[in-house]
Amino acid sequence: MQWWCSASGKPWTWDPQFYPGVWVATAVLALVFYAYARRARAMGASRLAYWLGWSGVGLVWQALDWPVGPLAAGYLQSAHALQFLSLALVAPPLLLVAVRKPLAASLPTAGAAGRMAALLTQPMIAGVLFNLVAIATHMPVVVDTLMPSQAGAFAIDVAWVAGGLVLWWPVIVGAPARAWFSVPVAMLYLFLATLVHTGIAMVMLIREFPMYAIYELAPPWPEWSPLEDQHLAGGVMELAGAAVIFGIITVMFFRWSGGVAGDVAPPAPPRD
Amino acid sequence: MISFNRMPLLRPRSVLIAAAFALGACAAPAPRHGVPLEPGLPRPSFTLTDTRGAPYEFGRETRGVLTFLFFGYTNCPDVCPVHVANVAAVLHSLSFEDQQKARFVFVTTDPARDSLPALRTWLDHFDRTFVGLRGDDIEVTRVMSAIGLPPAVRGVSGPDGRYEVGHPATVIVFTADDSAHVLYPFGTRQADWAEDIPRLLRVRPAKEH
Repeated sequence: MQWWCSASGKPWTWDPQFYPGVWVATAVLALVFYAYARRARAMGASRLAYWLGWSGVGLVWQALDWPVGPLAAGYLQSAHALQFLSLALVAPPLLLVAVRKPLAASLPTAGAAGRMAALLTQPMIAGVLFNLVAIATHMPVVVDTLMPSQAGAFAIDVAWVAGGLVLWWPVIVGAPARAWFSVPVAMLYLFLATLVHTGIAMVMLIREFPMYAIYELAPPWPEWSPLEDQHLAGGVMELAGAAVIFGIITVMFFRWSGGVAGDVAPPAPPRD
Repeated sequence: MISFNRMPLLRPRSVLIAAAFALGACAAPAPRHGVPLEPGLPRPSFTLTDTRGAPYEFGRETRGVLTFLFFGYTNCPDVCPVHVANVAAVLHSLSFEDQQKARFVFVTTDPARDSLPALRTWLDHFDRTFVGLRGDDIEVTRVMSAIGLPPAVRGVSGPDGRYEVGHPATVIVFTADDSAHVLYPFGTRQADWAEDIPRLLRVRPAKEH
């Protein structure tokens, strides 16, 4: 039995597989989320935000578990791209929007931890970190080295979730970011921060041969060549990624221009 | 599937062997991938049945032509379709002229299940010009033995009657000088083929040496 989805080298089968590590990780995430979500509800978070957060937990689970997890781990690059979008771009904002108030309150503000938190939540640092994670986890040598092992596949999944949380934190949680990170700047930040992943998608689309050995040499997917799969992966990252980012930017814009203060709008950063 | 990791033909890559190949091939650039063969393996002569049901004399039909020879079976779940597909993808990326200079010959190691139409249908998924050959177990074993390959081994049938066949997972490439100087094991990637095939195409026929 495998505890985490990684490349197995066996032909794909639609027989469901059980990955204990995925369930344990999801359970831990759900417990932590539940603890924060209760506090968030007590602090006035909306019911919509609460359920958006649970949908984020569900999305993480679906992205890691069978069938998406093992497909992404060793068979289809397009599933890998879908997993990246789910774990790094979609689930993190859903999770953060539900618990942003207790998260902001619990963030350390003093000492070394406080300085570290302030540094990591700076938009410039957060954007750079997310892009470094995106670039590193899409390099062929990294993917082909890590994905065949359970620990390696786990590390990539965790890096995506962590990178996504860091990316979205300045936009959704805000604290202790500076006051100048207004909604228009946040929209610009999101646009700029995701340009790199657009570039990665473009590389997938224009490469003449498959980028990753793990998908090129995997047991074949019927009637679907590795290169076609790679192009699909690039398309998923390009179009679905753009849909997510520009969808959220659009919502932010209309909320901002309409002067509506909702849970999705960035809160005023706490000041001394 | 079952595959042979160690075959009599396989030897460690070495600079000397690569250099010897480069000299022997009239200064054609040496391939950068695969496992070099020293001495080179002469193009064998054998006759099996092609997918039209006609005798196919391998030595005569492929003489002087870049030839990819692979032994496998159509029910193979992983190595065969991936290996064949990777060669096909790169051949398709070549110019029409260069495509005409190459042949891919697939010999089934599972004649019990690989009928000629089944073989043709399977190969057509990759390329309609790929040659499929079939013989009985003894004939195919004799051919493999002549090339220095271990014989295919039929695995144990499962409850559903399905079985796998162990076979060498290497593509043997005969160049225009009617010798094979390099083997490509499973794991050779399209980018590797794309780098090597143009080099292999530049090997000149033996008579021009």
